[in-house]
Amino acid sequence: MGKLYDELSKDIEIKHSMYACMDCGTCTALCAAAEFYDYSPREVMDIVQSRDDEKIKELISSNKIWYCGQCLSCKQRCPRGNNPGGVILALRRLSEKTGLFAESEKGRQQLIAKRLFGDNMLKRGYTLLATNPIPSHFPELGEDWEYYHEHIKEMREWWGVPMDLENSPGCHRMVPEKDMEELRAIYKATGAVDLMNKVEEGMAKKLGGKEEVEKFWQSYQDNVDSRLYKIKEKK
Amino acid sequence: MRREGKARVWEKHQKAIPSADEPGGNKWGFVRSCLLQAVAPFTEGIIHKVMTGKGNKGLGMDIRESAGHTSCGAIGFHGDVTMLETQMVVAARNFSMAHYDLGVDNFFCTCVTSFGNYCEIIELWEHEPELLEYTKKTLEETTGRKFWIPKVSGGRPSVVHASDVIYANIKKLAKKAEFSLDGVKATDHLGCHYSKIFPDESVGGGEFPRLLAGMIEAYGGELVDYPERRHCCGMGFRQCAIPENRGYTAACVYKKMKSLKKTDPDCKLMITNCPGCGVFLDAEQGTIAQVMGEKFDVHVMNYAQLAGLMLGYDPFKDCGFNVKYVPIEPLLDKIGMEYDKSKTQKERRRPFGP
Repeated sequence: MGKLYDELSKDIEIKHSMYACMDCGTCTALCAAAEFYDYSPREVMDIVQSRDDEKIKELISSNKIWYCGQCLSCKQRCPRGNNPGGVILALRRLSEKTGLFAESEKGRQQLIAKRLFGDNMLKRGYTLLATNPIPSHFPELGEDWEYYHEHIKEMREWWGVPMDLENSPGCHRMVPEKDMEELRAIYKATGAVDLMNKVEEGMAKKLGGKEEVEKFWQSYQDNVDSRLYKIKEKK
Repeated sequence: MRREGKARVWEKHQKAIPSADEPGGNKWGFVRSCLLQAVAPFTEGIIHKVMTGKGNKGLGMDIRESAGHTSCGAIGFHGDVTMLETQMVVAARNFSMAHYDLGVDNFFCTCVTSFGNYCEIIELWEHEPELLEYTKKTLEETTGRKFWIPKVSGGRPSVVHASDVIYANIKKLAKKAEFSLDGVKATDHLGCHYSKIFPDESVGGGEFPRLLAGMIEAYGGELVDYPERRHCCGMGFRQCAIPENRGYTAACVYKKMKSLKKTDPDCKLMITNCPGCGVFLDAEQGTIAQVMGEKFDVHVMNYAQLAGLMLGYDPFKDCGFNVKYVPIEPLLDKIGMEYDKSKTQKERRRPFGP
């Protein structure tokens, strides 16, 4: 048993997700991610159960933990009551806290998740905003979606769901500032702000400074593909 | 004996949800969904209309929300930017506001991932008294608010989803319905975070999906079962949100649609209760048509849009079928609902000019 496993075992998710895995592979047989990627939740459970720090380090530095789609179909079917999707949540947090997430292509996408879900929550009280699913990022939503975005305020009023109302109930309202202060205090006290900072710091360390992180972000915004940013080789 | 055994199993998969005629079932507090407000805002519009509409236009319920409630943040939790501790205190804040600020005892959420997350949190509070104490203490310290836990289902700590509330009133809605699904084949797709994380908290669980199937049958439709009925839609949080990962989502939709088509090519209607499923099961049919050259033309709509259509609400202005990949008109023709045929398909969807 090593330091990484000790850290991992402190996570509430591990305590409630990892009992005794018997390696039956039921989770892998029904896993949506295992069908699409080179991914096996059975292997993940096996590595965590081994408590081998080297193997855990390799796992949380890799793309694998980011392949899971969090449908949690595995939790329902595991004959031993394990929750591989919950174990993944704990591994991902360990990967972020140790900065190892930045070692993999899929891990580096956490900057996008942080700046989307996390920053949205701290600015507006929602993980997703009406202005997020822009047509260039969701071309499959089609021309009618483009039209909707061009007339977003009028369309929402027409549907009876006006946006950005102040001091009022409603869809996509402006959450009053005093409530936002309460929410930010919760995020700070419970470690979410620290976790988000770890993502920014880990990316800066990997890419060679905060300016490079902004270039990575801008490249993603412009090209809708984070892979097009090239990491500079360290001299 | 065998029948008794079956009855016992079925009993385990039941869930008490107060209907509008039962004590407390006419007054609810609710919280909104950030995914719905971003990708399908009209859905919350039609949920509201069906629940509060008078006479034959709805259930006449009193549903309340506070201006200061926030997203539960579970998309950020499954998207790995928050801790479970964060989720617990944010949930406690939303619960507290519903009870102490709005004066309600019953509580539903419009998002399936909120539902799954709230169920997880309530279970943790039940099993680990120190986490309950942590939540109460942190809630008090960060917000000054008092803790309250909803007990919606059978008097035990629990919450329900908006689709549960519709299901509890489905016979009433079906009686009020102006249209029916008579002669229409349909299938359901339950959100994974509704039926799989805590199956005992959903109607029929993942094993006996009854919630949406029950709605289809109540409106007179013919329910279709198919092998990949329970497979995830592939929304996957970071998988759909980050475009370079979205092949995962399209692959899941393709698997489901192929399976449905092979089983019953005449089944062209799929009812959902999760915000993500409602969008991606439809939109990715466009991707598949482009990439694979294969068309399925399955109408995907959520339970509230379906209730809206059945009650005779306008398919575009009220139900929001303006922005679907699969055009709704063939289904409207099938159920005999009239719409403005003097306009083109594009004009019907664009109320503010070209």
